[in-house]
Amino acid sequence: MCPATEAVLMEGELSSLPDAPVSGPDQAIRRLRAGDREAFADLMGLTEARVLALAWRILGDRHLAEDAAQETYLRAFRSLDHFRLGEPFEAWLIRIAVNVCRDLGRKRGQQPVALASLDGLEAGATAPGAEEAVLLDQRRALVRQALATLPQGERVALVLRDLEGLTSEEAARILGLRPATVRSQVASARAKVQAHCARRLAAPKGGRP
Amino acid sequence: MTHPHVLDQLPLWVEGDLTAPELEAVERHLAACPACREAADQLRQSQAWLREALASPFGAEDRARLRASVMARLAAPPPAPRRFLVPSALLAAAAVLVVAVLTWNRPQGKPAPLPTAGTGPEFTSRATAGATDIPAPAPPLPPRVRLARAAHAQAQLQVRQRPDGTALPRREPARLEFQTADPTIRIIWLAQATPLPDPNPTLEETP
Repeated sequence: MCPATEAVLMEGELSSLPDAPVSGPDQAIRRLRAGDREAFADLMGLTEARVLALAWRILGDRHLAEDAAQETYLRAFRSLDHFRLGEPFEAWLIRIAVNVCRDLGRKRGQQPVALASLDGLEAGATAPGAEEAVLLDQRRALVRQALATLPQGERVALVLRDLEGLTSEEAARILGLRPATVRSQVASARAKVQAHCARRLAAPKGGRP
Repeated sequence: MTHPHVLDQLPLWVEGDLTAPELEAVERHLAACPACREAADQLRQSQAWLREALASPFGAEDRARLRASVMARLAAPPPAPRRFLVPSALLAAAAVLVVAVLTWNRPQGKPAPLPTAGTGPEFTSRATAGATDIPAPAPPLPPRVRLARAAHAQAQLQVRQRPDGTALPRREPARLEFQTADPTIRIIWLAQATPLPDPNPTLEETP
């Protein structure tokens, strides 16, 4: 992409970000501004699944992710007067969530946890005798381990680009970076994840990934 | 055929982040290079595993709990404002200001000579020592007339309030002078146990 195009994209708004139907958040915000506080619950209902998943993918910890989601909505509520109707609400919310996750990540330390707290989620998949489920469990652990070793910047870029489905330009606007930087971070992260998996899978048989 | 060049581009190729010309070149290379094709397949596979491993673990219960928690926080009264909380930056700025004010008038050129052992903090009494005892490095200062008159005025008030009206012995106050390292700053302390004498007896002591 030529630099001029990048500059235009950097200056633009997040208008092309995938979003829930525009009428949903906007209607809820209008009700909220009219004094109907319960409208915020409706607003959350439209977005909370994505915010929780985003926070968990960035932070790598279920409880931290729930804290981050809660803080995201509290900040959003306090800043809702500054939101302009007609703009993609979910993109605005993702930006807040990313900032909250960064703050929490800084407080906790730079490295994300190794997703160990998510092991319990695979309890159903690791039923005795289900060999396929065991392999699936191992594969998930392997990938999460790989993700946990990434620098925070690469991890966030990878989550936004490959897991949240944003384009490099959209992710760049949220992160305050140039699209070329995001592409570089994402490419590095993808290569590291693949190399980590390849190394572990190439290990002698009998060893756990 | 340069494998490293294509291998470097595969992480961008795998999710469609290459420009059209770059994409065309990589595709052409992959069609002719089994090694790079295998690397591309591995990248595609690890990307699929990534999405599989990071599928959201949160269910409807988690979302409902989050919503209830946030709405409860919003319904709670806001915390009382924290008063007398001075940001650390403000404190630091105040400290810098104080230091700047204290050091503003200090001479920037040659430092003032420090008092020697014989001329350190001086105690002189006007009854026993004269002004010549002042250390040589310190330049003479104009007399602190205003300070002395303030002290005398206080003494006059005390004289007028004495019931017997007896004459007080005239004694000069003890004078303690400290010459600081800065020649423009001298600390003078006047001390006297009895009321200070009247400097103008013709006006103040006349009944």
